[in-house]
Amino acid sequence: MQHHHRNRHRQGQETVEENKEKRPKFFINDHVDILVEILKRLDGRSLGVAACVCRLWCTITRNDSLWEDLCFCHLSPPPSRVRSIVVALGGYKRLYMACVRPVRSRLGKVRGASWTRDEAQLSLSLFCVDCYERLGGVEGSNSSTGRLVGESSASSLMFLCKPVNV
Amino acid sequence: MKRGHHHLRPNPDPFTVGNSSLCGGSTTGKAKMWEEEAVQQDCGMDELLAALGYKVKTSDMAEVAQKLEQLEEVMCNVQDDGISQLASETVHYNPSDLSTWLESMLSELNPPPTFDPVVAAGTAAAAAATLDDSFFGPAESSTLTTLDFDNNNKKHKQQILEEASCSDYDLKAIPGKAIYSQKTQTHDSSSSTQNNVKPEKRLKSTSGSHSDIFPPTAVASYGIPAESTRPVLLVDSQENGIRLVHALMACAEAVQQNNLNLAEALVKQIGFLAISQAGAMRKVATYFAEALARRIYRIYPQNPLDHSLSDVLHMHFYETCPYLKFAHFTANQAILEAFEGKKSVHVIDFSMNQGMQWPALMQALALRAGGPPAFRLTGIGPPSHDNLDHLQEVGWKLAQLAETIHVEFEYRGFVANSLADLDASMLDLRPSEVEAVAVNSVFELHKLLARPVAIDKVLSMVKQMKPEIVTIVEQEANHNGPIFLERFTESLHYYSTLFDSLEGSVSSQDKVMSEVYLGKQICNVVACEGMGRLERHETLTQWRNRLGSAGFAPVHLGSNAFKQASTLLALFAGGEGYGVEENNGCLMLGWHNRPLIATSAWKLANKTTPVAH
Repeated sequence: MQHHHRNRHRQGQETVEENKEKRPKFFINDHVDILVEILKRLDGRSLGVAACVCRLWCTITRNDSLWEDLCFCHLSPPPSRVRSIVVALGGYKRLYMACVRPVRSRLGKVRGASWTRDEAQLSLSLFCVDCYERLGGVEGSNSSTGRLVGESSASSLMFLCKPVNV
Repeated sequence: MKRGHHHLRPNPDPFTVGNSSLCGGSTTGKAKMWEEEAVQQDCGMDELLAALGYKVKTSDMAEVAQKLEQLEEVMCNVQDDGISQLASETVHYNPSDLSTWLESMLSELNPPPTFDPVVAAGTAAAAAATLDDSFFGPAESSTLTTLDFDNNNKKHKQQILEEASCSDYDLKAIPGKAIYSQKTQTHDSSSSTQNNVKPEKRLKSTSGSHSDIFPPTAVASYGIPAESTRPVLLVDSQENGIRLVHALMACAEAVQQNNLNLAEALVKQIGFLAISQAGAMRKVATYFAEALARRIYRIYPQNPLDHSLSDVLHMHFYETCPYLKFAHFTANQAILEAFEGKKSVHVIDFSMNQGMQWPALMQALALRAGGPPAFRLTGIGPPSHDNLDHLQEVGWKLAQLAETIHVEFEYRGFVANSLADLDASMLDLRPSEVEAVAVNSVFELHKLLARPVAIDKVLSMVKQMKPEIVTIVEQEANHNGPIFLERFTESLHYYSTLFDSLEGSVSSQDKVMSEVYLGKQICNVVACEGMGRLERHETLTQWRNRLGSAGFAPVHLGSNAFKQASTLLALFAGGEGYGVEENNGCLMLGWHNRPLIATSAWKLANKTTPVAH
């Protein structure tokens, strides 16, 4: 796809016209439904890369449903309530980036390996805790306390991060 | 020099002879022999040495030998050019007065005796090995040390008194010397624990100021060679680790026997030894030393902590290691299973803190088949000192989250100094047909054991609440025995394991905070007594007995909880040591097979008939 895209740019005006005369050119960007189908099947890293290709692709990859499949593709379709909860807590993309990806890599899961319901449930719980931490203080609360909580907040998932070799 | 003594040729340059043998190997044996000869001879000049032009009084022989040993050690380790002039073939001072010559040599070599713990700590870190093994297996290595020194002891016991009145310079030189050898240690960059420098030929104390600090015999009874007031080279960390443990135990025993002078001296020694260690052992030893010092000097830590500080510490502890997460997840699983099919649930949390346990439960309730129940939460916490209602803030945050995930939520916070101050009627309980109740306590119940009446009152209050399930998470250790020494030993083992498990964590700031958090517990266990001593941990077996006799029956935590806990532990980096263990329906989290915390679940033993109380 990327090659195709680049080719399009490389081709000069004349070649484009020539090709148009020869046969109908297939631009994937004209067929968004196919594009979506393809992107659905990519893994996380590739999706991230795809998001950098062009504006259209960026918009498409922002669509949470792509990431949903990534998170729960190997599980039997979860109840629709999961979707509403995940969306409310920040969306599938966040869930994937913050929890699912580090959890799966920690547990040594290869893409395609079975991803048990327990592990999915655990990721979701950790995600929930993380969201809870990110909730700020309430208006009217003492700012110093709020700040303290805010400073130390959102690091309950720190243990999932790789240690940085300073 | 010692070898030279036996192979002496009349050599105009005694220094070269000395030099060649000085750079030789360990000469403990030779020194011993030399001293034997010295003891045998009468007072007056030593004949053999006199023949070579060295005038040494027989009575001074031991002293001279010691100084020569020290000199040898220092010179063997010299790598920089600091004293290279000594290694060359020049005579500096009149060697016929051996004693003064040695003194001047040694004082030249020693930098000013300021004990720089930073340097020592840094170099100690460089020369470290894991002390976990050495701690748990002192028996094997300690026999080695005692063997080496037993013979020396017998000779030296007579000479100790003589040596004790040695010139002051010896004692001042110790810290400086220790530093000096350690600096060269880093140049060596030896990675083994058995360093190039010979292990201390004689064990000496570094507490350094008086020669009458403690009678050597008292310490010798613990299997340590008799300690005189001579300097020690703190270079071999493994042996120091063992000595450190011995010193800690000795100090605790001294405190137990109310021998505070001895304890005081030992505490100082522990401080020095602790610095020579690295990693978990150093931190644990430092905290225990501090706690012992507080106990000896009666400087008790002020209890109540600033609320925000304790919150921060608690949060960091939550993030760094799996203990709290394990507790929360396993308890939540039990509560979730108990609430199956209920339309309206009420959780009473004795350990509210920041409410980190409840988002996960709410999310699990939201996702359960049949939709979420109406969720009511009552949080109980200690009073705060800054006029803020922390409990209420936590409640607001939870309410926000609940709204996000569409769970009907109700919250009430109660402030209480102690759980025993509460009464079931205060809690606005609804009839059990309408609402299912769960009681949750994470690391809170042991605080009630200071007053035996308190725990009974709280347990009967819990029974009055008619809970579906009671989840209790407690430390798996007995820190509540009547005898101080036993408590000390137990807690030393427990917290060493705990600190060890923290070593693998990612962020160093988090780690430090968690260690401070645990350090406060250590302080409480060791230094406080009576009502002040809140950290009265008891083992699972003890809790089982207590709860059984109070009218509760155990509920087995299912395999779901086990699997979830195992998965959680697998996520922790550096966490290969963590393990979940199932113990008669309870789950225990341990580090390298030493269980550290235990989660258990309980229900009322007899639900149908009223419990006679």
